Amino acid sequence: MSQNASNPQLPLESGEPRALEHLLHHAKIWRAGATSPTKGIPTDFPVLDSLLPNNGWPRNSLTEILTKQEGIGALRLVLPAIARLTQTQWVVWVCPPYVPYAPALQAAGVVLERMLIVEPDEDQQADTEYMLWVFEQALRFADCGVAMAWIGAAQHVRLRRLQLACEQGQTWGVVFRPEAFAIQASPAALRLSLVADADTAAEVRILKSQGGANARSCQLDL
Amino acid sequence: MLDTQLKPAQSRRQLYAIGTSVPAVTTLHTRGTVESGQLWLHIHLLQFSLDILTCGNLNQRACILVEGQGARLKVVLANNHATSLGVRIGMPLGAARILGDLTVLSRDERAEQQALERLGAWACQFTPIVSVAPPDGLLLEIKGSLKLFGGVDGLLNRVRRGLRDLGYRVSIAIAPTPTAASALARSKQQHIVFSKEELPKALGSLPLDVLRLEPKQLAILNSIGARSIDDCLRLPRGGFGRRTSPKVVDTFARLIGRSPDPRVRFELPKLFQSSLELPWETSNAQSLSVAGERLLHELSGYLRACASETRRLRWSLNYTDGHAIHFQTDLTQPSRDQAHFALLLREQLGHIQLTGQIKQMALYVDDIRPESGTHEGDLFKQEREGTSEDWPSFLDRLRARLGEQAVRGLQRVADHRPECAWRWSNVHSQNNSTPSASGGLASGAPERPLWLMRRPIRLRAQQGHLNINGRLHLSEERERIETGWWDGKPVGRDYFVAANPSGARLWIYRELSGDKNWYLHGIFE
Repeated sequence: MSQNASNPQLPLESGEPRALEHLLHHAKIWRAGATSPTKGIPTDFPVLDSLLPNNGWPRNSLTEILTKQEGIGALRLVLPAIARLTQTQWVVWVCPPYVPYAPALQAAGVVLERMLIVEPDEDQQADTEYMLWVFEQALRFADCGVAMAWIGAAQHVRLRRLQLACEQGQTWGVVFRPEAFAIQASPAALRLSLVADADTAAEVRILKSQGGANARSCQLDL
Repeated sequence: MLDTQLKPAQSRRQLYAIGTSVPAVTTLHTRGTVESGQLWLHIHLLQFSLDILTCGNLNQRACILVEGQGARLKVVLANNHATSLGVRIGMPLGAARILGDLTVLSRDERAEQQALERLGAWACQFTPIVSVAPPDGLLLEIKGSLKLFGGVDGLLNRVRRGLRDLGYRVSIAIAPTPTAASALARSKQQHIVFSKEELPKALGSLPLDVLRLEPKQLAILNSIGARSIDDCLRLPRGGFGRRTSPKVVDTFARLIGRSPDPRVRFELPKLFQSSLELPWETSNAQSLSVAGERLLHELSGYLRACASETRRLRWSLNYTDGHAIHFQTDLTQPSRDQAHFALLLREQLGHIQLTGQIKQMALYVDDIRPESGTHEGDLFKQEREGTSEDWPSFLDRLRARLGEQAVRGLQRVADHRPECAWRWSNVHSQNNSTPSASGGLASGAPERPLWLMRRPIRLRAQQGHLNINGRLHLSEERERIETGWWDGKPVGRDYFVAANPSGARLWIYRELSGDKNWYLHGIFE
């Protein structure tokens, strides 16, 4: 509108594209391919950075990492970014499947003093609701840089809430899930599938990337 | 609800003039007592006996308080609900019962005294000079506090709001002598009088019973035709003294500030202890949290009064059958934030399985520590942009919901045994703790897995091979760890990195002695 105001004699015909331009800049219009202005969190894998919008892990949203089995490096994929975040912020681990091993984490540069591990007792752990509650609280909490959870089946509505919690708390949420859930739709801003076998390097496939290109992949030495 | 508006006895202009010209009076200095010649605020608790029994759940049921014996029980107090049913003070209990469904309570003098003392501790947040006036009043010397609380209006607002949250209905008056403040408050006229010269005028029309004289003396005064304070003040002093007693003369002299009126100063107890009898036995956690908030309100006043904070709140819920549940709230950081306490209490109550009816709730706090001064929650909370919660509150909330053990940190331990090279740690409140030097291991140190099994998992060889989702291929190098003989937990193992056909890398070991079994100990995730 400001353009129109400065050019009152502007003919209507040539004003229309400008009005469209103006409309496209409206806060509620989101164009596929447009990226949010915030810079991503560097992954420390240059190849992967180049494939992701904003050159890194999406801040303030949910990232889903799908694997067929444990032990192929899903945690190592995010570890450099986590080590970087622990310099200034907290990392919350929600119900990790095993004990995060302090010597290995420290060797990777993680500041152990900024790690928080939340494990409800066994009765509560059986209840996914508890775990999702903790995860959501952590994501909403502003001093938390990243929260990670290991989730199996979850309703789309719950995942949507988690994504909103990320935006509200400006927290990076990481969800590790079995690959079987790849066929389900997810509100996560970024979905990756990690594939590996004994002979070749691990392959990262981008299943969904908001504001970036899908169906790309790269090989990483994890 | 009674009229709660104060009616200043003087104009606003006089209000400010008076502070500068306090009349010089001879004050009696007595150890442990309060000096007279100041400004006193009297809190008269209107239905104290009933209020402490109903715990502030005032309008839910019709309650009456009865006194007397056997068939002569009479109503001495009735709440609004009961009054609306037609119950009147002095009515026999039998007659009152016909009017509707009433909860009949009898007076508990011991509980009243304890409640009054707790209220005294609560009031110490407004002034260091508090005196209890049993059975139903409190006196606060407020001259020195006016500036801090923004004048009489500011102070009165704070006091009134606090008392309302505690569930008490009150009548408040302010006067230069404690006896006059008490008389004005009891008369329910709720005046503010700033100068002694104004006292005879303000007090004149009050009936004599507000002075709480002995019944005999009151009868004498009635017999000589004195009905109001003014009547007595106008009598010649000599004759007045001969007809009554020196005590009555003294009371009147104190009333108008002619003689000193020292009061015993209330001493703050060293720890906080308070309980509430629930008026109606309950098994509902929600109603417990309402009662709990009242206790927390008292606690917060007490902590403010002694400029302290706490890290541990001990709660007890007493069942009707004598059993009790005890639980405590541990805080990450010392606090006296009532709202935060209440949030944590609600979380904890949500997880307690009540197996019966609760009749009493108690709060006990002995962890009293001087406030650190670096964080006055109320002040800085709003300044943190975008966030409504700080790190300690976040931790407390998780702990209240999930239990103390559910929220932990990790620590590195210098030990060669893999399972002893780390331990759980308490997460402290410091958000800005200095990070320890990272990369503690020498660069040449062998790689460690990111996941450690909570307990090593025994692996069984099938046809001479180890299998986890396919046959495992072991690394060429082995790492021998043989240590720990000194503390009774010796370890002798050969560690290998194993890979399976689908690309998973695992950390396995073989025992050096015994059956030489294989175990899975970690995952290189």
